Amino acid sequence: MNHLPQAWGRPRDDIYGAYNHSHLAPGQPTTHTKSPIVTGTSVIALKFRDGVVIAADNLASYGSLARFTDVKRLRKFNDKAVLGFGGDVSDMQYLDRHLNALAVRENYSSGSGAGEKASSTSAEASEEERAESLDNEGAGTGMAANNLHKYLQKLLYRRRSDFNPLWNHILIAGLSTPDPKVPDATPQPFLKSVDLLGTAFGAPSLATGFGAHLAQPILRRVVPDEEAVKKIDEKTAVEAVRECMKVLWYRDARSLDRYSLAIVTGEGVRLSEDERVEGQSWEFAEGIRGYGTQVV
Amino acid sequence: MTSIGTGYDLSNSVFSPDGRNFQVEYASKAVESGGTAIGIRCKDGVVLALEKLVTSKLLKPGANKRISTVDRNMGVVSSGLTPDGRHFVSRARDEAAQWRSLYKAPIPTAALANRMGSYVQAYTLYSSVRPFGVTAIIGGWDSEVEVPVDGQVGAGPAVGAGGKEEGEKHGGPYLYMIEPSGLYWGYYGAATGKGRQAAKSELEKLDLAAGNLTLEEGVKEAARIIYVAHEDSKDKEFELEMTWVSSLSGPTKGRHEEVPKKLREEAERLAKKSLEGDDDEDDKPEAEKMEE
Amino acid sequence: MFRNNYDNDSVTFSPQGRIFQVEYAQEAVKQGSVVVGIVSKTHAVLAALKRNAEELSSYQKKIIPIDSHYGVALAGLASDARVLSNFMKQQSLASRLTYDRPILLSEITHRIGDRAQTNTQHYGKRPYGVGLLIAGVDAKGPHLFEFQPSGVTQEMVACGIGARSQMARTYLERNLEQFEGASREELVKHALKALKESLSQDKELTVDNTSVGVGGVKEDFRLYEGQEISGWLETTFENTNTAPEPEAGEGMEVDS
Repeated sequence: MNHLPQAWGRPRDDIYGAYNHSHLAPGQPTTHTKSPIVTGTSVIALKFRDGVVIAADNLASYGSLARFTDVKRLRKFNDKAVLGFGGDVSDMQYLDRHLNALAVRENYSSGSGAGEKASSTSAEASEEERAESLDNEGAGTGMAANNLHKYLQKLLYRRRSDFNPLWNHILIAGLSTPDPKVPDATPQPFLKSVDLLGTAFGAPSLATGFGAHLAQPILRRVVPDEEAVKKIDEKTAVEAVRECMKVLWYRDARSLDRYSLAIVTGEGVRLSEDERVEGQSWEFAEGIRGYGTQVV
Repeated sequence: MTSIGTGYDLSNSVFSPDGRNFQVEYASKAVESGGTAIGIRCKDGVVLALEKLVTSKLLKPGANKRISTVDRNMGVVSSGLTPDGRHFVSRARDEAAQWRSLYKAPIPTAALANRMGSYVQAYTLYSSVRPFGVTAIIGGWDSEVEVPVDGQVGAGPAVGAGGKEEGEKHGGPYLYMIEPSGLYWGYYGAATGKGRQAAKSELEKLDLAAGNLTLEEGVKEAARIIYVAHEDSKDKEFELEMTWVSSLSGPTKGRHEEVPKKLREEAERLAKKSLEGDDDEDDKPEAEKMEE
Repeated sequence: MFRNNYDNDSVTFSPQGRIFQVEYAQEAVKQGSVVVGIVSKTHAVLAALKRNAEELSSYQKKIIPIDSHYGVALAGLASDARVLSNFMKQQSLASRLTYDRPILLSEITHRIGDRAQTNTQHYGKRPYGVGLLIAGVDAKGPHLFEFQPSGVTQEMVACGIGARSQMARTYLERNLEQFEGASREELVKHALKALKESLSQDKELTVDNTSVGVGGVKEDFRLYEGQEISGWLETTFENTNTAPEPEAGEGMEVDS
């Protein structure tokens, strides 16, 4: 019998045989997350004359199972920026905490108080933070949407370069800082995306996940280019986004008819987390093969 | 100070034969010459105030803020060597951020005071460092709201994690003061810096332990006390800097913020008035105090 | 050898709570040639007097542009200033790279202040022997900061540091009210006049020994030297002392 301390409490080799180390896969390379687990589907967003509209449904799927139906995937960062998360929900929560720490840091330098208010996704928003988000006075000089986008781009690219990506596709919607050298420049509507590889992309309308296939063509009809952005108003933009949420609910099996919608303009952020797809009609489905009773 | 020159005061971390660490005492001397800093723990919040001496006409008025935010709900004011004060604040911010990342909740004021006490104390232990030349006052509002489970998906379970008690109250206003030795106490009213004696005796008159003073009254008292403490160095100009933190339902919504300009100016006006009253008739300010 | 027992290192307090090594480091700043900085509502200006070691040597750099929106002027140990300015350049670039924004002047000033503080609290380090004026424009407007070896940083409306700088400060204090509304040209003039105050009797400001740095709300920070500043010198002092003359004068002296 082995009396050495390292053998204490272990199954005896003479009775159970030597420990089989093979399942520890010695000599194998280190691996990180190779696929997302609990996921959110599309996020869609659209620029208009004075701001940006962004929306995402409230579902977190576990594979094909609609696992959590009240997960809010839009996160207000401050008065000038809202983020929409597609992809892994736990990575979203990690980023949420990370951005919370960033917001705390940003508030040191804007003096005692007087800075911007940051809030959190409801996934873990305490009532304290809820109260904070109600109170939005300071436009201040804190981070605008373009600053946040650049930061996330660097963060996600770094993580993928470490072979440990954060499995998200994020839309950053809001207002950008005006060019100080242009006289009387005002903050411009800002919309860009960054994905798990750190790829950054901007366009008048953007969509992640299935939305890139189903919603993007519809949104492009509304704002084909930057010129068109200047011509459409908030109402048109919101209607287009709502229409897309409906299409996604009809055609994306990992979607939900409850969603969050945020509008960012110079006046601040209006975030509603309890929207519904209105006026549903499934009549069209009757003619679809595979739905209901099979005909022919 | 009889042992000055005997050599026991030349290095940090060395005891003199009568059991004193002189370098720490000397560090306290640096604090004694700094502008007066005070903190008042009121029933619904904490006020921090600082007498910022104007050392040059060329300084930008209203800039150079010296009361710092450490976490959303917490502030630090210090007296003594300003760069040491910044070092203290920067460490406090790190502690608060680290606490948040570990416990997924803001650091309680008491815990921050404890950690900073340990940090400052460590600077009295080694001959390779010198003690902090500051005394710092930490004021914060610990959230009264129950912290949700981190990463809680959706609304989460209706019942909180672990041993929740029905109707139990959490949080409230807290005030701590940390000295160069690393020693700290909790306070109802704390004062440090040049005018601390005058400030302390004014604080004692307020009967803060009874917990009747409201935050707004606290702001006015803080301004008055700084003005009283400044009396001894009347020839020098100063700026009054004040911050406060209240409950979620209070004026700052649980955040540590600068006292709004309007309120501060009103408090300064009253402070000046009460000082003028001091010169005319000695009884009047006493009567005013009785009202509160 | 030492003035007292408490000034051997920067980790010893004197019985009065002073740190002599830090105070001595402040003296090094006073050995450097004078630099001046002023801000208005729209501009931030630095002006500096350059010294040369000898007739044939070049002049010491006094103003260092750090990022496109700001620069620093130094007085004291130039090599310490180089260490700090390199650090500032790195930090400024990092801010643009990771956040797509120019770093705030208050932020960068605090960062070097914190670095300097560390040097005053640990054995084996020495305080920096240089004072800096940090001037430029950020998202919050034009700013001027002063940095001292002790780690003290202060935002100023106007400031002068270096040898005989008290005279410059007196000028600045006397004209304090005019700065806020001053135009770009007026601000440069004030800076040059303040600089002149600190000069010893036998010295003049010339295109060779003067540096000017200007940053503005709609203007990148830029260093002006040599012939670029001759116009300013002429209009400020209304003298005919353009470049060739003093050179000729000095040349005569050498010959005789």
